[in-house]
Amino acid sequence: MRQLGSWVARAGVGFVRACVVAAVSMLVPAVWAAAVALGIRWGAGNPWSWTAPFVLVCVGTLALSRPVCRVIRFLVARWTATVIPAGYRQGGPVTRMSTGYWWNGFGYERSRRDAVMDQKWRTWWGDPATWRDLRFTGIAPLTAGVVAAFPPAMVAAAVLALDLPVPAARLVGALGLVVAVASAPYAWRTVEPVAVRFLRPSPAMALADRVEELTARRADATVAQAAEIRRIERDLHDGAQARLVALGLSLATAEKLMETHPDQARALMRDARAGATASLTELRELIRGISPPVLNERGLVDAVRALALDVPLDVAVGAGTSLRLDPPIESAVYFGVAELLTNAVKHAHASRARVRLAGDETGLVVEVEDDGRGGADARAGGGLAGLRRRLAVFDGTLEITSPPGGPTHVRMTVPCASL
Amino acid sequence: MRILVAEDLYLLRDGMVRLIEAYGHQVVATAATGPETLDALRTWRPDVSVIDVRMPPHQSDEGLRAALAARGEIPGLPVLILSQHVEQLYARELLADGSGGVGYLLKESVFDADQFIDALERVAGGGTAMDPAVIARLLSNGSPSRGLGQLTEREHSVLGLMAEGLSNQAIGRRLFLSESAIGKYTTSLFGKLGIMDDDDTNRRVRAVLTYLNKP
Repeated sequence: MRQLGSWVARAGVGFVRACVVAAVSMLVPAVWAAAVALGIRWGAGNPWSWTAPFVLVCVGTLALSRPVCRVIRFLVARWTATVIPAGYRQGGPVTRMSTGYWWNGFGYERSRRDAVMDQKWRTWWGDPATWRDLRFTGIAPLTAGVVAAFPPAMVAAAVLALDLPVPAARLVGALGLVVAVASAPYAWRTVEPVAVRFLRPSPAMALADRVEELTARRADATVAQAAEIRRIERDLHDGAQARLVALGLSLATAEKLMETHPDQARALMRDARAGATASLTELRELIRGISPPVLNERGLVDAVRALALDVPLDVAVGAGTSLRLDPPIESAVYFGVAELLTNAVKHAHASRARVRLAGDETGLVVEVEDDGRGGADARAGGGLAGLRRRLAVFDGTLEITSPPGGPTHVRMTVPCASL
Repeated sequence: MRILVAEDLYLLRDGMVRLIEAYGHQVVATAATGPETLDALRTWRPDVSVIDVRMPPHQSDEGLRAALAARGEIPGLPVLILSQHVEQLYARELLADGSGGVGYLLKESVFDADQFIDALERVAGGGTAMDPAVIARLLSNGSPSRGLGQLTEREHSVLGLMAEGLSNQAIGRRLFLSESAIGKYTTSLFGKLGIMDDDDTNRRVRAVLTYLNKP
């Protein structure tokens, strides 16, 4: 019974979806049909009466192609979770020049409004995505549209046939109704492969996107590096440098007091020694934060082993690789593992963790698992989002599986091209 | 004692030599690179060597490698490793052969010259001298291997100080207990760890190894 219920629900949902797909993809052909009907009504013989329908077809197709594609993209993403990047070109900023004219990347205009309008039109005409959308509005009705229209058409035909007083026609009508219901859950699905094939950005558009993405990453990396250098400067300035000044002062005073007050001098020298030890400890911590010495001396695998020994957690390190990577990548991955282990201790309250490093010709894969309480996510501004950004510089990825209650499993990958 | 000093920075090497000679020991050789160190260790077989971890030609862990290689050829050759940073990983590698005569300290341990020379003499005698930081990290690490769980808190702290390389007398001073009381604790903890050995130095080294999770 329950199975039947769920099947009916699926058929219902499928039927509605098929109707929606058919309606959206048939929108442009409907405009064409309306134009033809108009032309015939005004007199098929007179060529001048076709002018208005022709204009209607052109304007209607051009104006509807982008909204239709947007809707199809939205529906596919909503129903199948397949995200098709749109790849529409964006206009650059419109700026006012010292002459008072507005520059929009193509030409000068007298007012800001004109400049924006002009830019919009030029971007639209020059955008390869526009022509791709037009092609799609021609292809979609003949493929996905026809298939999706099948169940509603069958239902309509069945209703008409059932109305006839002939028994044979009623039988055919009932059969048609069954076929329509049975095909409903599947008929709308052709829209996905068609959309993926004909709506995805062309290689040139993908390249343009990639350039934009890399520009953003470069900006990210530059900002992060500048912030890091400022942090180091501040730490050195407030820490080691200040301590060394104090050390020099103590020694100078001790030198002065050596003859007259040897006891005070000795105490001062003891202070100086303690100061030197303290500043060395500070420097050591600072260096660990910039570039851990083991990483330089032994490479990533041993550095992670050393790290595993230092965290208050039972960490098993498995390494199927001994490859030495570029120092920046080693450093990014090392600090990634360090951050994940710190999270395991601080947030997940884990008692055990496992780190696996594996490298082959396709790239480096690092997995970190803990038995903590889970619930980790890469929210904006958080540590994991930052880690993801730092890996993205090398086209690396970060996948987090951390259901509430644990366990947490994090997978970092850096592809070979960056190694 | 005949001592080798291997350190690539001239100022530090010179200072170390002067400090050691001020305490009446003899510096028989100095080295400034990894290969030089290995050569000197083989030729001179010093009573104890002070070796910096990071040295030319690659500025990685040449000093440590030279020391490990020399100890591979001459078991028990006493070495005291100095470094700007201490790593448990390196400590384990040094102690792994179980023959003792090993020290691993931060460079600033030379600030306290008396203690530094004391550590040097201890290592030369086949004992150990581990930086308290390594031991402290081990103590904070909550994964005691088999046997360690049975130790009482007092035995734990005795073992920790033993791992630093202190003698029973020194441990007694640190814990405000008599030397004979410490002797009782050590005997009981050797029993719990299952270490049956007549030679006290050997037993101590093996206890430390157990402590470092390396049976």
